[in-house]
Amino acid sequence: MASRLRPGSQKKQIKEKIVQIYESFFKGEDVAAGNANFWDELFLLRPRVSVLESELARLSSEQLSALKVPLNQLFARCVDVVREEHLLRAAHALQTLSGLVAGVCRQPRPGPQSDAVDLLVGLDAAEREMGRLCGRCAELLAGLYPETLRSLVLDALLAVAAASEDINRNGLLEYLMINSSLFEPVIQLLSHGATRSVHGHKCVLLLTLLVNYRKSEPANPYVVKLSILDDELALNGYSQVITAALSDFNWKYAAQTCDSQSQGWLSSLTSMVGNMFVADELATRSESIKANHGVLVALYEAVHLNRNFIATLTQASTDASSQPPSPQSTLDREQAPAPPAAGQPDPLGAPVNLLVAFLQYCSIVMQDTKSDAATNNVRQCFIVLTCVSEDQYCNSLMHDPNLVFVVRLHRLPMRHRKATDRPAHPQPLATALLDLTVEFIMSHLMKRFPLDLYLQCVGIVHRVLCYQKRCRVRLGYHWRELWSALMSLLKFIVSNENAVVKRNNIFELAILVVNIFNLFITYGDTFLPTPTSYDELYYELIRMHQVFSNLYSMSLRYSNEGEHREAAMRLTNNLVNIRAICNHFSPKIEAWSQANNQTSLTEDQVLDVVRSNYESLTLKLQESLDQYERYAESPRYSSFFTAVVRSVIRDTWSGLNFDQVDHASLLNQTSAIS
Amino acid sequence: MATRAAPPPACKPAPVALPLPPEVTAVHGAPAPCGRPRRPGRATHQRNLSLDFRSMGIVLPPVQHSSLRRTHHRNRSLDSVLQEIPELEAAEETALKPALSCPRVRRAGPPPPPPVAAAAAPRLGGEDAASLGSTDSGISSDGSERDFRGDAEHAATGAAAAMASSPARSAIDSDRPPAGAPVTGAASVTVTAGTPVTGAGSVTVTAAPVTAAAPVTPVTVMAAGDAKPGTQKSWLLRLFESKLFDMSIAVNYLFNSKEPGVQTYIVNRMFSFSEEDTDFFLPQLVNMYIQMPDVAEVLHPYLVHRCRKSVNFSLHTARLLDAYSSDANLSNKKKPLGTRLRNLILSDELRPKGATAAERRLAVPPARPGEQTLSPLRRTHQRSRSDATASYSKGHQRTGSTGSMRCYLGDIGSGRAFDSGCSCYDTAQGKCNDLLGRRVECVCGAPRLRPQLEFIGALMSIGQRLGAMPTREAKTTQLLNELSLLNLNLPARVWLPLYSTGHHVVRVPAQAAAVLNSKDKAPYMLYPCLPQDKAPYMLYSLPQDKAPYMLYPLSAAGQGSLHADKAPYMLYVEVVEVDGPETAPVPAKCINTLRHTRSEESLETAAAAAPAAPALPTTFSLYGNMDAENADCWSQEDDDISQQYWQLRRPRLERERDTISQMSLESADSREPVLIAPGDIRRRLADSLAAPRSTFARDPEDPSAAVLKEPWAEKERRIRASSPYGHLAGWRLLPVIVKCGDDLRQELLAYQLLETLDRLWKLERVPLWVRPYRIVVLSADSGLIEPVVNTVSLHQVKKNSRMSLKEYFLQEFGDVTTEAFLTAQRNFVQSCAAYCIVCYLLQVKDRHNGNILLDSAGHLIHIDFGFMLSTSPKNLGFEASPFKLTPEFVEVMGGLGSDMFEYFKILMLQGLVAARKHHEKLLTLVEIMRSGSQLPCFRSGAATVQFLRNRFHMNMTEEQLQYLVDSMVESSIHSLTTKLYDGFQYFTNGIL
Repeated sequence: MASRLRPGSQKKQIKEKIVQIYESFFKGEDVAAGNANFWDELFLLRPRVSVLESELARLSSEQLSALKVPLNQLFARCVDVVREEHLLRAAHALQTLSGLVAGVCRQPRPGPQSDAVDLLVGLDAAEREMGRLCGRCAELLAGLYPETLRSLVLDALLAVAAASEDINRNGLLEYLMINSSLFEPVIQLLSHGATRSVHGHKCVLLLTLLVNYRKSEPANPYVVKLSILDDELALNGYSQVITAALSDFNWKYAAQTCDSQSQGWLSSLTSMVGNMFVADELATRSESIKANHGVLVALYEAVHLNRNFIATLTQASTDASSQPPSPQSTLDREQAPAPPAAGQPDPLGAPVNLLVAFLQYCSIVMQDTKSDAATNNVRQCFIVLTCVSEDQYCNSLMHDPNLVFVVRLHRLPMRHRKATDRPAHPQPLATALLDLTVEFIMSHLMKRFPLDLYLQCVGIVHRVLCYQKRCRVRLGYHWRELWSALMSLLKFIVSNENAVVKRNNIFELAILVVNIFNLFITYGDTFLPTPTSYDELYYELIRMHQVFSNLYSMSLRYSNEGEHREAAMRLTNNLVNIRAICNHFSPKIEAWSQANNQTSLTEDQVLDVVRSNYESLTLKLQESLDQYERYAESPRYSSFFTAVVRSVIRDTWSGLNFDQVDHASLLNQTSAIS
Repeated sequence: MATRAAPPPACKPAPVALPLPPEVTAVHGAPAPCGRPRRPGRATHQRNLSLDFRSMGIVLPPVQHSSLRRTHHRNRSLDSVLQEIPELEAAEETALKPALSCPRVRRAGPPPPPPVAAAAAPRLGGEDAASLGSTDSGISSDGSERDFRGDAEHAATGAAAAMASSPARSAIDSDRPPAGAPVTGAASVTVTAGTPVTGAGSVTVTAAPVTAAAPVTPVTVMAAGDAKPGTQKSWLLRLFESKLFDMSIAVNYLFNSKEPGVQTYIVNRMFSFSEEDTDFFLPQLVNMYIQMPDVAEVLHPYLVHRCRKSVNFSLHTARLLDAYSSDANLSNKKKPLGTRLRNLILSDELRPKGATAAERRLAVPPARPGEQTLSPLRRTHQRSRSDATASYSKGHQRTGSTGSMRCYLGDIGSGRAFDSGCSCYDTAQGKCNDLLGRRVECVCGAPRLRPQLEFIGALMSIGQRLGAMPTREAKTTQLLNELSLLNLNLPARVWLPLYSTGHHVVRVPAQAAAVLNSKDKAPYMLYPCLPQDKAPYMLYSLPQDKAPYMLYPLSAAGQGSLHADKAPYMLYVEVVEVDGPETAPVPAKCINTLRHTRSEESLETAAAAAPAAPALPTTFSLYGNMDAENADCWSQEDDDISQQYWQLRRPRLERERDTISQMSLESADSREPVLIAPGDIRRRLADSLAAPRSTFARDPEDPSAAVLKEPWAEKERRIRASSPYGHLAGWRLLPVIVKCGDDLRQELLAYQLLETLDRLWKLERVPLWVRPYRIVVLSADSGLIEPVVNTVSLHQVKKNSRMSLKEYFLQEFGDVTTEAFLTAQRNFVQSCAAYCIVCYLLQVKDRHNGNILLDSAGHLIHIDFGFMLSTSPKNLGFEASPFKLTPEFVEVMGGLGSDMFEYFKILMLQGLVAARKHHEKLLTLVEIMRSGSQLPCFRSGAATVQFLRNRFHMNMTEEQLQYLVDSMVESSIHSLTTKLYDGFQYFTNGIL
């Protein structure tokens, strides 16, 4: 450290002038002393932001505090220059600003933390300076300025928005809240195809961060503005940015798996070798998943806040073919396979809309719940799906028989089945959603039981069914798969009682599952596609009666003592109809088989028995089967989202690189204009 | 007969006020200005004489004297004058007759040779009346005789009279008293017509006679006042002046007459016909324009005049010009004529005269140095755009007076693809004018035709991309996506050219669209014989490297897919009716009204829910713990929405059934256990599914069937309920089929013929029923078709209901004795008879059950006239019968010998007789379209028309005709080939 602090004396390294200025500046020297035109000239030099950052990062908090005045001065100068008409200098000033913010705020420093606002801007001047900066930024974004400059503006704003890991403690953001004029230009950028393809990702990220600043307080103007946004184009643009990022990910995943599958007989040989790289592969996957964190939060915020956004969920992307992959992802994954270009058939099918891309994304993401980060990712996907399945309009879109799409859900290879992705054909999106939940239920029956995810997943099914019941939509779905999945879930719970119940309150989940069956039993007439499917429901219930009686006895055991007493009792109550059905039909079937002297009955025979014995059965009407608690972010998920936003901010930092600016084009564009 | 043709006595006598000295002979050798005694002062230039606007206080813009540009300039200035005196148009009709009087002069024997004829065709020499009669000059006995014959029939339907008319006419011709020299009252006009020909070359003449006509009007009208009352007029003139003279006759004479004077007269008269009348014959006019240079010359001013007035007309004309000049055999000499006019139209220079050229020039934003001056107009094609998206949009920001408003025309992703950027109609001034009922003029110079062009282009390119999709499923998905994109750009000031009512397109409900069964599987599909190297054309202009406004050949990829698979698709387009779609303000954009903002609620409820949550037990309960506030917040909305959906989705009967959920809600209060019976639940399920359904089940193989079967009114209501624009007053739903890769010109001809038949049957009060469906030809291989709503094809009836036609009638309309059935049966008979005649006359072939529709009132409707006149799907001897009349049809009528069947035959006879009476109208349509045409229906050339004429059986008496009908019906019913063809279609295409 000490040797490095003696600049250039021994190494005789030739340094750029700007670096020299930085160094002397941070030594506390008055850099402007000898030169009246110093500040004018400074911003003509090309800034070295990384040097600036590292210089700042080296300083301890005391040293930093000591530099407060020159820092404030530098900041003010930057703002001045940004407001000038000379665009090249404005660009340099923006870069310098970003470097300042990054250098001061990004590095965790030991010792007492001083306020970033005070250090950078100075508390007394903060409101004025930030106001001027925001105003000018809005101007630059909205007007006819070179794209590179706009990109720098967005970078600087992102640096400000992500200045603190805990977004709620980011003092700088407070001033962006006051000057909410940034919203419109950003939306403007999203509306137009050309600007969207360049800046879309940054715009969406910025909006997401802004919305998440103290979102529970009504003071955040961005929350309000985003929620009342009804510009179809802008919303469409927003959704397309997300679609592009998600389908980019999907495509890469599909290309990866296609590769491994296409090897054919070789695959068996290489599977062993391949296992050695599994960790590696997982690593790349999780990395790319993390890169999508911001996009996912953006999707959540839009779906959650803005009702108009729902309409864009099923709208095709306008420029999927011409849009380059989002800049963020190119930074992260340099060796990305070329996006599906001409000639090569797109493995995902050409036209993609947001919901299709998202469902596919979910099917990939939920294959991995090993790490916490991955679990969080799945959780967030499910939260979005919960919002979607609660929405009346979205449900009507998903159940529209005329709106059919091909959704290629990916399935995890498992021991008892091959990992063949089903041949996809166009179907209403609700079918795909149910398939997705069935797939999740079937593929996560493991000792480390992800109860929370299961609750969400089954909750989604419940919401969809409630919609169908309410609106009398008969979806042509193969309900048997859902039933058997839910029954396997119950079976797993019962048989792994010791492992699972100890850690979780699984009764909630069991109640939910049982109630879904009750919904089918009680209201099947409103949404089942055929009368036979109602018979089949009874058939499945009778066939699996053992599961239900085991579940009943288990709930009886817990309903007398223990912390889950109450829930267990409700479960016993809710099982009453199913038990009645089992108890009613089992003897009838037995009698029939004895009468006909057959030990094993075919399905058709059982169905006949069931059909002929409906009349003698009565059931109790269960209450409020079609009620569910509407999704609310706080308080249940508040802390979850705080954590998610934290990781989004970290991603943002790693995605930002202020030096990586195409300087030639910047020079070109700025000089051409000014 | 003569009395019939004679003009009403009130008719104006021939204007003879400006007597020309008999020695006009001088005029036709070389213009002899000195021979005109009245205006010796202006002797140097004859043209000025007749075009003397100054006397009317109209100041002409200075004429540019470059010899190259002169003609064009003059036309424009003349037209501008024309525009400023629209009130004169009414007078035109009478005023222009003088032009016609010159033929009469010539005919009358001792010749003052006609100046016009001499100028146009000096070879005639024009002295001998007999020789004139024998050649095909304007009043050749051939042309007029035929028309008079038609009139004669009008009086007496006997064939004999018609036969006799020819000699009678010639006799009259020769007997006619010589009209003599004094009739040359039209001197000033005729000379005007003549002079430029010799003076300025052939092009000049196009504008001169016509445009000259209007200004001169007052003079001639005045002159007419002191005309000699007893003067006899020529027969032709009398015909033209008679009430009978309509557009059909006009077009006929325009086609047959080689006499410029006659042609000019007719075109002048066309100005006075109603626009609908002339528009109906637009294909004929355009074809003549392309094929016959002399007609083109006289037609040009009319077309230009109409183009200036209407965007719609401009586009129609341009498209037809495009379509009809794309035939390969067109000689190079002829081609440029049509192309030039089309380019002129597409260049958007034909604007209403409100904004003068100078003003417009000011309004056009200054061009950027790097770009061509007109680049905003030329950069239309999407393909080029996708290549250069970035640079395009950047370089294209308008910086001029329009401020930051950018031009996004054609960029589907921009949301303003159909917005010309013109704001004239939305300004305060524009709105004010609109309220005052004043016509709002666009002065900003925004492209006038482009939005509409882009809109249709977008529909076409969707069709092309659909064609590239391999499967029907992929097509359906693709269509959905494309339409949702299209919706982003709507509402806009665009309309469907298919429908004449003024409207703006506000939305295209994507869910209601359907991909139709494409015909590519048909084994007998005859491709129009375009040479293979000819790329399909789109009506697009080109980027700057090629000649402007050239037709744009699609790239190789697009071309391949275009021919590989056709993908017609059907759209339902929501429109809002407006007066004058070109100027009316566009309805504002609405987003689905279901959606409201959620922010406040969510903030409130989040706050409200926060304290409530801890109060709950440790387990979170899904049921029954909706706190009051929360419930309030959402139940309102949910109720609204679910109400709406219930009404939409289930019949009223079912509504009472939802008792259980009612009970469950009530039971939440009372703790009494309610018992339910699963047997009931299952029964309800079975019942609700067994309920008769008015629609066919959705069949993934044939998605269009279900879409088409849904009753139109129901569909309209359904879509209206879900549309955000449904509340607007003029809201309407319009269906349209977009066809890409099919030549619709033949269909257009069929439409015209059907429409003509329909009209004449109505005129003759024959209760025959046909349903002509409208066609818009966009190019030689694409177009729009008006779907006939509330119909299903016989094939679909058979496939979905699996019963005979009679049984289907019984099911749909009730028992044979019911009123509904009888009405449907009558409808069936009337329509069946009508289409039998149509099929016989036009020799419509390929009559399989997929091409025959049945509407909800029982009418039979034939569609697809791809094989008619002289083509049929390979001449294997299939469909040898005169028309398709299967025993099944007869069964619906009540069987052989039944009253309705006899009625059917009577109707056929009446219909044939009526058609025979007006056969000239039909023949005219066909004959004109035949000239220079490559359409397959004209394969046998001139014989096509002759055969068609023969099928009217002019020489038969009514008894003979009746016998003919009987025998045709007989042979059709027992036709083996019809059965064979149906069987063949079943085996090859699965058409039942």
